[in-house]
Amino acid sequence: MDPARIDRDYPQGTNFQLLVAQQQLARMGVVDDAQGTQATAYRTLLSSELKFRAADLVRRDPSVIGQTVEITAPMSDDADLYYKGEITRDEDAALRRVSDRQMEWLDDLKRDGSVTSGFNTLLFTQGDSTEPELAGVLGAVVGSALMLLVTALIAIPLGVGAAVYLEEFARKGRITDLIEVNINNLAAVPSIVYGLLGLALFINFAHLPRSSPLVGGLVLALMALPTIIIATRSSLKAVPPSIREAALAMGASRTQTVFHHVLPLAMPGVMTGTIISMAHALGETAPLLLIGMVSFVPGIPGAITEPAGALPSLVYIWENASELAFHERTAAAILVLLVFMIVMNAAAILLRRRFERRW
Amino acid sequence: MKLPFFRSPDGREGGTPADPTEAPRMGGQVLPGADAPLDRRDETVLPTEPAVSDAQGEVPPTVTAPAVPVGPTKIAARDISVFYGDKQALYDVSLDIPDKTVTSFIGPSGCGKSTFLRCMNRMNDTIQGARVTGQILMDGDDINARSVDPVLLRAQVGMVFQKPNPFPKTIYENVAYGPRIHGLTSSKSEMDGIVEVSLKRAGLWDEVADRLHSAGTGLSGGQQQRLVIARAIAVNPEVILMDEPCSALDPIATAKIEELIDELREQYCIVIVTHSMAQAARVSQRTAFFHLGRLVEHGDTEEIFTNPRERRTLDYITGRFG
Repeated sequence: MDPARIDRDYPQGTNFQLLVAQQQLARMGVVDDAQGTQATAYRTLLSSELKFRAADLVRRDPSVIGQTVEITAPMSDDADLYYKGEITRDEDAALRRVSDRQMEWLDDLKRDGSVTSGFNTLLFTQGDSTEPELAGVLGAVVGSALMLLVTALIAIPLGVGAAVYLEEFARKGRITDLIEVNINNLAAVPSIVYGLLGLALFINFAHLPRSSPLVGGLVLALMALPTIIIATRSSLKAVPPSIREAALAMGASRTQTVFHHVLPLAMPGVMTGTIISMAHALGETAPLLLIGMVSFVPGIPGAITEPAGALPSLVYIWENASELAFHERTAAAILVLLVFMIVMNAAAILLRRRFERRW
Repeated sequence: MKLPFFRSPDGREGGTPADPTEAPRMGGQVLPGADAPLDRRDETVLPTEPAVSDAQGEVPPTVTAPAVPVGPTKIAARDISVFYGDKQALYDVSLDIPDKTVTSFIGPSGCGKSTFLRCMNRMNDTIQGARVTGQILMDGDDINARSVDPVLLRAQVGMVFQKPNPFPKTIYENVAYGPRIHGLTSSKSEMDGIVEVSLKRAGLWDEVADRLHSAGTGLSGGQQQRLVIARAIAVNPEVILMDEPCSALDPIATAKIEELIDELREQYCIVIVTHSMAQAARVSQRTAFFHLGRLVEHGDTEEIFTNPRERRTLDYITGRFG
């Protein structure tokens, strides 16, 4: 920690990566040229996370200035790819992102044990980043969870309520027929159309914040509604009429009949429809394209009105990224998405089984 | 819709599919006796006597029950017709149903006996497109009056269906449901008492006392039917309607239910629809014979079975049709 190059009051302004690079080169006995090209080349192997960690250290304990300290930080994505064998010497030196010299340095580091590989916990604790080695899925997971929360809170009560009304209370006639045809057609509308609707309705008209889980959740709720209504109606229809008659003949009102007997019996079917539509909503990307949820959002959303990403759109962004290292993170994000879905479905199935064994 | 007086000689139009609750019907069978003159037959079959009930008021009785001292009239139906959409299922039925008596309705499938039964607790209201005309007086009050809440009426008129239909809940919950929704109890112990008394009266207590909190649907068919009866009497109704309560049961279970009906007769007005003439003869004091949506004949069970006034009744009870 060179006192001459560290500003006590503004440690994050220091180029710690260059500091480390020069030190390492000096240790290896490499003499740099006047422009410092060697140090700059070495510096690119180190992640910018190094800078933040060093600056943190200095801020917490200024007495380290002037001393030599050990700092552990991730390597850059290119160094990582080299270690993983994704970048090899066989490639054309002009096209690959790691030069022969840098490869030697990396081999050196590996040999003397300065570099170890470990589980990338950053992937689960960080939001998105332009640096692949620092990019994480947490922001997207939280975004997806908030979005699904909004979807569930809107679509389930509204969908089940609409189905109960149509099936149990509404007088069958031309209007209910019309509504039924409409619902069935809405279930088949391409999801990107719902995205357009959301854009026009929630963002342009209602001026809700763009890229927010609130708007995403609303759009997905619109999309999930027809599925929930159709599933709920068919499970209500499947409740034997004898139960309805029994309750009515006992002097239960229509409302009591529905809420004490018919709906509880239809609950497993309702839950199944809900689970399917929620899982569908979780994996939906197309409508999110149009409401700005497929954009670079580095932070972790703390509220439904803050900008957020979603897991499927993160997969899409990462897969399109130019950095090679993002591609393996895409695979990781897909796995996270699948695990998210499995956890959600397992929870829903457990819930459903509890409903089934109510007595 | 043709007027009933002009119906075709084979008598079919009254029996065209009318009652959706009953599936098979007589088809185009030519009925013996149907070629006899039929004009206003139903109304003139029985001698017109002064009404038994004082509740009839301005409604002139078209059919009057013979004065048999079985109990005071509980329900007086006057000119009841039921339409399901455009189809008429019941034609101008007038009948007095006495209290503390078992009255049975017999007749072939689709003859309107279940439809008539369902008029008495306004269950036909729950079928879309069903329309009931005429007047049903229970203890002198019109049950179809606008001021009558069908929910409260059904608490007074219990019903037992053809297929045992306990709620998919515990035995206890099945019986406790009625008293709970009608707010009949204020405490758990009171509820326990009602459940116990109802199950005892339905003759089921000894069989289920140790498993009150297991599923009601896990009982045998006969037990389920008695559970349903217990459920019906838990709200202390005045009338119990039974729509073929034994048709899904084996002979032993049937015998138990019949015994139970006979016991319950002392406290309730019971109306039972049955396909079994033997059952009608065993359990009921009064019998009404329905055919093609009309009440053909009614009177003391013994009289109906030994000395029917009507040719059609005789043909039916001797098994010549239906």
